[in-house]
Amino acid sequence: MTNQISAGVAGIEQIAAWIELLRRDYEVVAPVKTGRTTSFCPLSDGLEVGWDYTITTIPPSKTIYSPQETLVRFTRTEEGYRAEEVVPEKRKRILFGVHPCDLHGTLVLERTFLGEMKDANYASLRANYLIVGLNCQSIGEKCFCASMGTGPFFGYWMGQGPPRGCDVLLTDLGGRFLVETFGANGVRLLSGVEASPPTPDDIGEKLKREAAAKERFRKSLDTRDLPSLLRRNLNHPTWRITGEGRCLSCTNCTMVCPTCFCYDIWERVGLDLSVIERIRVWDSCQDERFAEVHGGNFRSTREARLRQFVCHKLSYWVEQFGCYGCVGCGRCMTWCPTGIDLAEIAAEIRADEERK
Amino acid sequence: MNLQLPKEAVVIGTKAHPPDTKAFKLRLRNDNERLELRSGQFNMVGLPGFGEAPFTFSSPPQADGSFEHTIRAVGRLSKRLMRVEAGETLHVRGPFGTAWPLEQVKGRDLVVVAGGVGMIPLRPFLLEVFQKREEYGKVVVLFGARTPGDLIYREEFDTWRRQPNTFLHLTVDDVPPGETWDGHTGVVTGLFSQMEIEPANAAVLTCGPEIMMRFVARGLLLRRFPASRIYVSLERRMKCGTGHCGHCQLGPKFVCKDGPVFRYEELAGFPDTLL
Repeated sequence: MTNQISAGVAGIEQIAAWIELLRRDYEVVAPVKTGRTTSFCPLSDGLEVGWDYTITTIPPSKTIYSPQETLVRFTRTEEGYRAEEVVPEKRKRILFGVHPCDLHGTLVLERTFLGEMKDANYASLRANYLIVGLNCQSIGEKCFCASMGTGPFFGYWMGQGPPRGCDVLLTDLGGRFLVETFGANGVRLLSGVEASPPTPDDIGEKLKREAAAKERFRKSLDTRDLPSLLRRNLNHPTWRITGEGRCLSCTNCTMVCPTCFCYDIWERVGLDLSVIERIRVWDSCQDERFAEVHGGNFRSTREARLRQFVCHKLSYWVEQFGCYGCVGCGRCMTWCPTGIDLAEIAAEIRADEERK
Repeated sequence: MNLQLPKEAVVIGTKAHPPDTKAFKLRLRNDNERLELRSGQFNMVGLPGFGEAPFTFSSPPQADGSFEHTIRAVGRLSKRLMRVEAGETLHVRGPFGTAWPLEQVKGRDLVVVAGGVGMIPLRPFLLEVFQKREEYGKVVVLFGARTPGDLIYREEFDTWRRQPNTFLHLTVDDVPPGETWDGHTGVVTGLFSQMEIEPANAAVLTCGPEIMMRFVARGLLLRRFPASRIYVSLERRMKCGTGHCGHCQLGPKFVCKDGPVFRYEELAGFPDTLL
């Protein structure tokens, strides 16, 4: 069953006018080109959208789950410190122009924060976001979303169910856009857009463009039996060779990953001790101290930390959350200073096992 | 409900366990609330400005709603906690995690193996067993520590030994000058030969340094104790207690919510553990 309930076709000027309309009620966060890079920023004009981007450094899911956030504020009273929750700013936002890989990144991240135990801050922030997706036709050399079932066009959620997590979906048909809505929020959001009903040719054009986009992938990851394959190879030499030989423990892979959720907690103590804030900051399993306890460190080597990253994304995650922790966006390998590539590691392990 | 928001807990009593450990009896400041804790679970215990860390409960659930943590000074927070006295307030979140399998091991003989402060999470289990002594079989406690002075709760040993069908065997690694010891010396697995117990009907519960639990579990497997009834309680770095911060992961397990108490066989084959 699909909950897609309406569609239309609009020109780029009409889309820009629609964005301006949305900006009256929402902060619209969209891909904006600065020099050679594109990043998600609040728009100051509907014409600023960088439609043809491939990938941003920081994924849009990390607009919702920000690098630093205050969770609790302790205020000193005569009876000691009183704790109060810090409710995130209630600003209505639209994440606009999100590629399907990153839409899935948000959905995967939410399996952590909105699972059996809910993260109150994340839930509160997420409730203020609506998401406008953009089917992707700009396939980069490190992209392999097609292998992970997350793109390049938004369809079924990792093969597991109907599309979720996207209120409106846009497809560039060449100067004009097919606009589809999912659910009541999408319909409401779209009420101001001037669109004509799509013709069978428009739908045909979308399918043609999806097929063409799929042809452009240069990278893939064979996911057959992948979680067990890695579990069988926790002692494969690649962990040592790649981890100790190439990994710099710089943590870039985890900082740019759309699904990485790990955080540390710090306390910010005011100089007069009247207010102490408990804040969370992104942390990384690649940091040497991540698994340190009194008297030891469970992952003191880069070998162990690289294995943790790759096996978590492609194996353990499936057991924890019922989906992969990798959406195939290619960021970790793109921003790895030494080009460590989790898809290549998985392929190497598979090839070795097949040779045996 | 905000799981990050701590509750105020008033220290209603403390007890020093020299040389470096202290017990805190606490109750929530809000009389209308109580922690529904089970033995083996933990709280995140915090002191504003000094952070927060996981500590297991050192007493079983109490009728009056009070609870107890026994804490050894090893880090910044725990060292500061040594100066906290009755009347002061701590901030707690919890209880989190899995509990000792009190129901599942009913009717069985029990081997409880503790190393050092690993006795702290095992004490509430033992006290609950003693409260319903007739519901369990023979109880053998093997307890090892670095020195005689590190045998925490030694003032309770006589009471434990007076429980029916209950045996306590002690060992220490080292006897510093000035201390006396006429008992066993060496690692805790050296006590295995002293226990008289039928493995087939037994359950094992252990907590201590991970390397100790490795040799306890493997040693008892060799003695034909069933793998499905060896329970371990693990320590990992934890920041949240809710399976979100990621630090405590061991393979696909979140030690904070899937543990800290695990069946030993659940953890077989994972890297980054000494088990």
